[in-house]
Amino acid sequence: MALKVVRDIVVPRCTGKTMRVDRGQIFRVIEHEGKQVVDLTFLNAENYKEQFAAESSAVLNSLQGIGGYYRLSKLYSKPPYENVMATVVDDKVGDGARGGERAGHFMLCHCSKRLVEHLGAPPGVRTCSDNFADAFREIGLQQSDTYDESIFNVWMQSWLSEDGSVNFAPPLAEVGDFIDFRAEMDLMAVFSVCPDESSPCNDFQAKAMRFQILEPEGGVGSDA
Amino acid sequence: MSSQITEEFVLPSCSGTAFRVRKGQRFRVVEHEGKQVASLMFFNAQNYKEQFMAEFSGGLNFAHPERLGSHYRVTKLYSKVPYENVMLTVTENEIGDHFLGTHCTPRMMEILGVPGHRSCSDNFADALGEFGLTLEDVYSPSVLNAFANVYLDTQGDGRIRIEAPRSERGDYIEFLAEMDVLVAVSACPDDQTPINDHACKAIQVQIFDSPAG
Repeated sequence: MALKVVRDIVVPRCTGKTMRVDRGQIFRVIEHEGKQVVDLTFLNAENYKEQFAAESSAVLNSLQGIGGYYRLSKLYSKPPYENVMATVVDDKVGDGARGGERAGHFMLCHCSKRLVEHLGAPPGVRTCSDNFADAFREIGLQQSDTYDESIFNVWMQSWLSEDGSVNFAPPLAEVGDFIDFRAEMDLMAVFSVCPDESSPCNDFQAKAMRFQILEPEGGVGSDA
Repeated sequence: MSSQITEEFVLPSCSGTAFRVRKGQRFRVVEHEGKQVASLMFFNAQNYKEQFMAEFSGGLNFAHPERLGSHYRVTKLYSKVPYENVMLTVTENEIGDHFLGTHCTPRMMEILGVPGHRSCSDNFADALGEFGLTLEDVYSPSVLNAFANVYLDTQGDGRIRIEAPRSERGDYIEFLAEMDVLVAVSACPDDQTPINDHACKAIQVQIFDSPAG
């Protein structure tokens, strides 16, 4: 399927943003400098209460044999909706193109004020929570009305040991690697370009990230 | 510790209920028959928007300088961003590991080949309805699945492995409320997977007054 780029932006390091993705369009996250994590969630553009639920998606994908906590094929919204909001249609890193013991994403949480406090960071260090607060503000939402903890950590090489320890390693993704999400409904993508520089999550350096909206050459729906 | 049971009830199999616990009170979720999962949601009783953040509490316990726990064994139960307060503390937990993650839902039952089968979503909808809440008001399906014997693969896609609970009749987990809390509990109605050893059973709840002094 031939795709054309209809929007192409570079989002600065340590910031959050929203982008609307119409049903049938592709939302592409691209490594602009390499080894950088993007924390990503989606809202139904017509009903912001219908939000992506990462950890239940991990279980629903796991039961279908199409993913788990380190990779997803179908992104489901929270109960009581439980609709497929987006489908991952291109994920070469997740498919093993860069090797690694795991698919290389993480369907759990982002850095928050309390987390970095526990880790001994100085007060006021920027976290993904701050980025999400900014991003949600763009569309008139407050963090008390949203749930951004349960998200798709694109390229975050984190995993749980059998004893429940949480491990971190640098992302497998290099410059130019991308992942494509096809919108199955009109979506608002909400994301944080992770500002963490104290762990291997972003290889100890927060960087910018590139995002594109693509659609079939003949327009949305021409591929049906 | 000398303290008296102030309230005690048995939650029938495949049902849900909700109850309030005051700051300083303790409560136990007890295996009434054994090998049965109790899925637990928590809300600040003064502000229902402040909800327990199950999946992140594991990370916060692990990251805590005193290493309070792990993803499978939390000591402090935190509320969601932007609050991130300790809502409850686990004070007794002989079983050890539980599962912080999603409860069962209609979509899960459909995937398991039994569309329309009762799920924890139905139990929570019933339980929360008594307090004027709906599933739309609950931000995340991630809960504390007490006694659930569920682990993530450490490799590949990170799929889950579900086995029968290790807990037997009389085993319990005890919580201390660090704020006034609304507790919603579902006696998980999943008889399709090993999560309840393929048979749904009742759960017992005991609420205690604060210890003397």
